[in-house]
Amino acid sequence: MTARYLIPLLAGSTLLSSMPAFADTDDIVKRGAYLARAGDCVACHSSPQGKPFAGGLGIESPFGTIYSTNITPDKENGIGSYTEEQFAAALREGKRADGANLYPAMPYPSYANLTDEDVHALYAYFMQGVEPVASQPPKTSLGFPFNQRWGISAWNWLFADAEPFTPQASHDELTERGRYLVEGLGHCGSCHTPRGIAQQEKALGGDSEAYLAGANLNGWWAPSLRAGDGDGQGIESWDTQAIVDYLETGRNVHATVGGEMTSVIAHSTSYLSERDLMGIAQYLKSLPANPTSDDAASTEAREQSTDETAAHLTAAKNLSKGERLYIDNCAACHFNAGEGADRVFPQLDGNSLTNAENPAGLIHTMLAGARPPATSKIPAQLPMPGFSWRLSDEEIASLATFVRGAWSNDAGPVTAEQVAEVRDSLGDTPLSRAPDPNGSLNHEDGGQ
Amino acid sequence: MAKQQPRVDAVIVGLGWTGSIMGMELTDAGLNVLALERGADRSNADFAYPKAADELQYGIRHTMMQKPKQSAVTIRRNLDERALPQRKLGAFLPGDGVGGAGAHWTGVLIRPTPTDLQLKSFADQAFEPGVLQDDMQIQDFGVTWDELEPHFTFFENVCGQSGTTGNLRGETQEGGDPFEGPRSEPYPLPALQDTQNTEMFDKAARQLGYHPFPNPSANVSRAWTNPYGMQLGPCNYCGFCSRYGCVNYSKASPQTCILNALKQRSNFAYRTHANVTRVELAADGKTATGVTYIDENGEEVFQPADMVILASYALNNVRLMLNSGIGQMYDPVSRTGTVGRNYAYQIGGGIHMYFDDIEFNPFATAGATGRMFNDFSPGNFDSASHGFIGGAKMHSSQASGTPIKTPLPKDTPSWGQGYKDALQKYYGHHMKLSMTGSVMSYRTNMLDLDPTWKDPYGMPLLRMTFDWKENELKLSRFMRDRLREIADVLKPDHMEESFQLNGDHFKVTSYVSTHNVGGAVMGTDPSNSALNRYLQSWDVHNVFVPGGNAFPQNFQANPTDLIAALTYWSAKKIKEDYLKNPGPLMSRA
Amino acid sequence: MASQPDNMSRRAFLRGSATLIPTVGLAGGISLTAQADEPAPNLSEYQPVFFGEDEWSFLLAACDRLIPGEHAGSGPGALDTNVPIFLDRQMDSPYGHAERWYMEGPFDLDGSPDLGFQYPYSPREVYQKGIAMTQQYCRQEHGKRFEQLDGDTQDAVLKGLEANDINFASLGERQMQASDFFSHLLENTKEGYLSDPIHGGNKHMAAWKMVGFPGARASYRDWVDQHDVEYPLGPVSLNGERG
Repeated sequence: MTARYLIPLLAGSTLLSSMPAFADTDDIVKRGAYLARAGDCVACHSSPQGKPFAGGLGIESPFGTIYSTNITPDKENGIGSYTEEQFAAALREGKRADGANLYPAMPYPSYANLTDEDVHALYAYFMQGVEPVASQPPKTSLGFPFNQRWGISAWNWLFADAEPFTPQASHDELTERGRYLVEGLGHCGSCHTPRGIAQQEKALGGDSEAYLAGANLNGWWAPSLRAGDGDGQGIESWDTQAIVDYLETGRNVHATVGGEMTSVIAHSTSYLSERDLMGIAQYLKSLPANPTSDDAASTEAREQSTDETAAHLTAAKNLSKGERLYIDNCAACHFNAGEGADRVFPQLDGNSLTNAENPAGLIHTMLAGARPPATSKIPAQLPMPGFSWRLSDEEIASLATFVRGAWSNDAGPVTAEQVAEVRDSLGDTPLSRAPDPNGSLNHEDGGQ
Repeated sequence: MAKQQPRVDAVIVGLGWTGSIMGMELTDAGLNVLALERGADRSNADFAYPKAADELQYGIRHTMMQKPKQSAVTIRRNLDERALPQRKLGAFLPGDGVGGAGAHWTGVLIRPTPTDLQLKSFADQAFEPGVLQDDMQIQDFGVTWDELEPHFTFFENVCGQSGTTGNLRGETQEGGDPFEGPRSEPYPLPALQDTQNTEMFDKAARQLGYHPFPNPSANVSRAWTNPYGMQLGPCNYCGFCSRYGCVNYSKASPQTCILNALKQRSNFAYRTHANVTRVELAADGKTATGVTYIDENGEEVFQPADMVILASYALNNVRLMLNSGIGQMYDPVSRTGTVGRNYAYQIGGGIHMYFDDIEFNPFATAGATGRMFNDFSPGNFDSASHGFIGGAKMHSSQASGTPIKTPLPKDTPSWGQGYKDALQKYYGHHMKLSMTGSVMSYRTNMLDLDPTWKDPYGMPLLRMTFDWKENELKLSRFMRDRLREIADVLKPDHMEESFQLNGDHFKVTSYVSTHNVGGAVMGTDPSNSALNRYLQSWDVHNVFVPGGNAFPQNFQANPTDLIAALTYWSAKKIKEDYLKNPGPLMSRA
Repeated sequence: MASQPDNMSRRAFLRGSATLIPTVGLAGGISLTAQADEPAPNLSEYQPVFFGEDEWSFLLAACDRLIPGEHAGSGPGALDTNVPIFLDRQMDSPYGHAERWYMEGPFDLDGSPDLGFQYPYSPREVYQKGIAMTQQYCRQEHGKRFEQLDGDTQDAVLKGLEANDINFASLGERQMQASDFFSHLLENTKEGYLSDPIHGGNKHMAAWKMVGFPGARASYRDWVDQHDVEYPLGPVSLNGERG
């Protein structure tokens, strides 16, 4: 059994902080807990078998392993001896209590926008609402030059910007609340904003076209979140409610979450209030979509090519290998029109993962399957099976090539070599185990 | 000395439909609830596409079913025959593991009629004394349509029931069943699409003046999110429903409809491979103190609990009561005792029709596609003049097109080139007309404990005494004649019949139905029911027994909707009254 | 619900946000590079695991009579589709060992057959004893082993088993009748012919192609409303073989 932290949701939190500065301590701690959810602190500062916030999550890298730190209030091992001022400096400026720089894996350039009230609430939560854990995570020891923390100062001077949040007059209150969360605690840009030459996010706020314009993360395409008001593909076709649904439950009428975002929804956004989520949605819709070459195709033309693919698959005559593979492996849930099913099976027609320039995320999903998060609103988990046991590299390549060009999709072909590369990187994939012809059901998790 | 676990507020024996429902309801009430399931754990991922599409493993070898090794039933047809153990499954297929039969059922989700719930009152009014067999022991359920209606509605929303409404708050609706009891809400989802046989049956039935309507289905026609936030995918007509877990998460089951939500609750826990052998009673025998089970290491464990819910399969609920001494065992000679009394079943029959030139594509289907009509349910026709009580659901369903089970005419060779020729000629050219008939309860159709055979833990096996009675054989013949009239309209190239007729006896070797009911029936009179109308044991007030065991006799349709509605009904009474003041909810007087 | 992320996704997430250290290889686990498709073995090269050489010869001959190949008429036969391999593999499955069945005594052999089988044998024993009895009968009656008889005589022997005209009790087997053995043999042969190739028979889904069953496709929402039309696609197996 893992320890569990059941953090009650705050109903209807309002813009910035409507809490009086000296509100009841319990309320401040609760508010801090909520903000820690919004910042998804637990994701990085806990290890698989460890206690929440005790750190020790290791990331292997060619330069050595970097370990997250213990941020429980333990005085020896954690941040129990931090003053609120030191805590604020760590959050906003990436400064340890001893003045050393944190690696910018800690998204302090985003957290820089935190208001004093929110820093105060987070501090109250980490000091009073979190169980101290007396364990020291392994020390990070990187080889030269990555062990030179002083170099980060220059990086910080160039790219980080410790400006507290200032509301923009052009936005309404709720949209501003959304901007505060997206640019700040949500640190959405960490994944969704393209990076520059020094691995810095090219923009930290919505005034730049590069902000949240989509980025490649080790092969997975973290799509553009610039939702705009157009009728393009991906998030551009989502309305605010669809964005709220997605962040709250990992699924909406168009899509189901896959890849790294699954964890973000399970442990962060599904805990946010509907009002905050609506603010986020409104803010994303306020960001003009970047023009893409796809705009040339009219809605009618897209609908026509969708219908043509569906009709061809249904007639099932003169099928290409990719088409036949689609019918034998995918159509059961995604159907001939690639439309999936409302909130249950994602739509492939126009899907951002399917159409990403780099197909690695799509290939990964086909091979290993995917499991949506169980959230309090939607506890259902209808897993997509992986097909690594059933399909060869060539077959996955044919299939991926087909779906990337089917319906209104218009992305490039996939090669068997690309599939082989992703397959080699997979560990054990429980959702893609072959059936046991002689056996009982090969169940993965036990009771209790 | 048995190992002892920490006490819980309520222990649930069996984690199928009724156990899952009780789990939700009792955790809602704030109780600390533990479910014990004797089979394996199972989740949606176990059935993920295309794993479940394996006829040999699931359809033939019964991987989802109870193992007779663990829980065989001995069977005899009358009090004088020596019962023999059913060594491998045949006539009925109870489920095993988390989800129970709810994971492998077909998915026909239909309500009884208001008359079915008050069959004894109906009989007293519609039949002259002496017309019905004198050993018949039919009774009212003790609960009315109006009391159960909200619970049907809720469970149908849990399941995403798909179909066409026939009676909305008293007003007849086009295309639905005009004989259904008034619904407070329409079906949550529209009906499934029609297969070829559905279209043909519908046309022929209408031509004969009947009122066919789409089989009410828990294979959902559209994507569905239920009141618990659980989700179902739209049915893709894969043809693997009955005996299979659903590859597409489209069939309502504890897995798709309840369990992830239940498992999120911190006051719920469950253990698998925990085989409950008996309920332990306090010294005065008036309350249960918990249950004893054998864990996966073969160790005996005592689980103390303030309340015990027997939510296993109907037959096993009765066996647990008998093995635990809850209530008095029924004696068919003196007609005393209530536990084991009024075991009942369902009677089936049909006409296999072969059409040389019609392509039925039987693999493209769902368990619950098809049409049925209720023109021959009790009260809707004059069965008294034919000398029987009860009724039948008349239907054409095409549950699957899996090839090992291909029906072939009896006069074709069963092997050799002739067999191969027949396979080629008839596969995909077959359609069936079916009747599913009610079975009344009788003095000698009953359950008790077998004197000879024991399970691996040394507990006596359940003994079933059951045979077809004259009333049901008359019903079967009457319904056969009606189905013949439909076949005459459809004009197959070849047809043959399969019905229970005079002189036929119950056979355990081929499948009949898994609608085994009764044995611990509900009612308002402790002399003829083991449970009161809230499914509470008359004798041990902190034991509740939801399940098909509560039916005083069987009706002509599928039991799941009624079993679930009764479970919610019982849970409501527990939450509203029992928990505040634990004790008998009805007085024995 | 545990509120902590699982290992895999947390690492993946952190990887995504670790700005200075972009390349990471996930550790551990099995590499799933094996192809699902293993070519079906040739019956002539197959070495049975359970059945002895003599039993195997009987099965090959009997299967060829129960579902004959193209020599008898259209459609593949039991031997073309590896049914004997299926039978051999089933003997080592839970089914072969009667793992799910109630096999406790006493065994009352005098009851009505309508109450189901009561003999004390698992399918493995049914085959061993049934084949031995049948061979004994063939030697006594014809002076040859079953597989050495001509086709018509083989058929006559099989019919004798089916109808209990061959009396196992008089041959020394008192607990099981000839028809008990025959029904196992026939049922299992049909199962091997028509089940998914994952179980060893139905080689290249030949029997499915013959009848027009699309196998494990399990996906027809776009087809269910097309009535009285021949379905256009061949089958697919659980392992993804396309026919």
